[in-house]
Amino acid sequence: MDNNTINFNELWQGRTANQLPTDELLKKVNTFKTSNYIKISLTTLAFSLTSFFICWIWISYHPQLVTTKLGIVLTLLSMAIYGFSLNQQYPLLKKMDKANSNAEHLANLLALKKKQQFLQTTLLNVYFMMLSLGIGLYMIEPTGHMTLFWAIIAYGITGVWILFSWLYLRPRQIRKQQTKLNDIIGKFENIQTQLNEE
Amino acid sequence: MVFEEVYKIYWQKIFRLCMGYTNDYELAQDMAQETFIIVWQQLPKFRNEANVGTWIYKIATNNCLRQIENQNRFPKAELPVNLAEEKQATSEPQIKLLYTYISELPETDRIIISLELENIKQAEIAAIVGLSEANIRVKIHRIKEKLTQKFRQNGQ
Repeated sequence: MDNNTINFNELWQGRTANQLPTDELLKKVNTFKTSNYIKISLTTLAFSLTSFFICWIWISYHPQLVTTKLGIVLTLLSMAIYGFSLNQQYPLLKKMDKANSNAEHLANLLALKKKQQFLQTTLLNVYFMMLSLGIGLYMIEPTGHMTLFWAIIAYGITGVWILFSWLYLRPRQIRKQQTKLNDIIGKFENIQTQLNEE
Repeated sequence: MVFEEVYKIYWQKIFRLCMGYTNDYELAQDMAQETFIIVWQQLPKFRNEANVGTWIYKIATNNCLRQIENQNRFPKAELPVNLAEEKQATSEPQIKLLYTYISELPETDRIIISLELENIKQAEIAAIVGLSEANIRVKIHRIKEKLTQKFRQNGQ
């Protein structure tokens, strides 16, 4: 075959694929929605169960001190904020106009990813701080009934757990999310530079 | 504008675009299906019927670009069995080569050349990608040169 006469158009059009019948394609819309729904529901369920448990403690033990109540509210609030931020990312993507030009779409995606990057770090910090503070305040009342020795043990164990979360789990979680996001951002930026040439 | 009609006219075109982008038959089929699901969802809101092609290509190419964050993809197992198994392995090695070479280009070049080979006007390609027409013209020229060179190196 003569190199100068390669007919790219003809070769290109030579490729075809089976087409799914319309009704089967539309069935996928539902499967997609369901799988996303399940993911969000599971997180919400986990948070709800914990919240329910905490409320149950409140109701059945009638805490007297304001610190206990404040602790419970802070703990619940921290989970609510975290859960809310988790569920926020999906609608944000959904709202984005998918029929922009590639250049505009890339710019939007990048802006969104950078926002996510900020949100994830900040929110995770807020979550950990509020949760630790909530637990610390909550424990004042129950430990008040204990001997000094057991109170120190209780605070000690909780303190160690909080330090472990703060110094190990939190940075690890942030690093994991950031690596993934940085990777995506890097690739998007790379594509963007392809458009900047010339 | 009826969805069935759009789906019928554009299916092969969108599949080829995705195929040029990934050179993976099953992935390309999934991506093309994702595109048409978005089209189906947004078609009721779409007014500018004269430009339905540009609109669909924008959705499709943006979807290609978003494959980087592939956590939004359908689980693989959901493809109906008859479709998954029936791989239309093309008998023509030249066709295979072309798709392989295109999928090796930088992302935006893959999109540009796919649209060009689908006989889309350069002004329209410029609108889809978001570059000037002159820029698109230069790029198409270079990409075609690159592809010809690759074919030549392969001794075709």
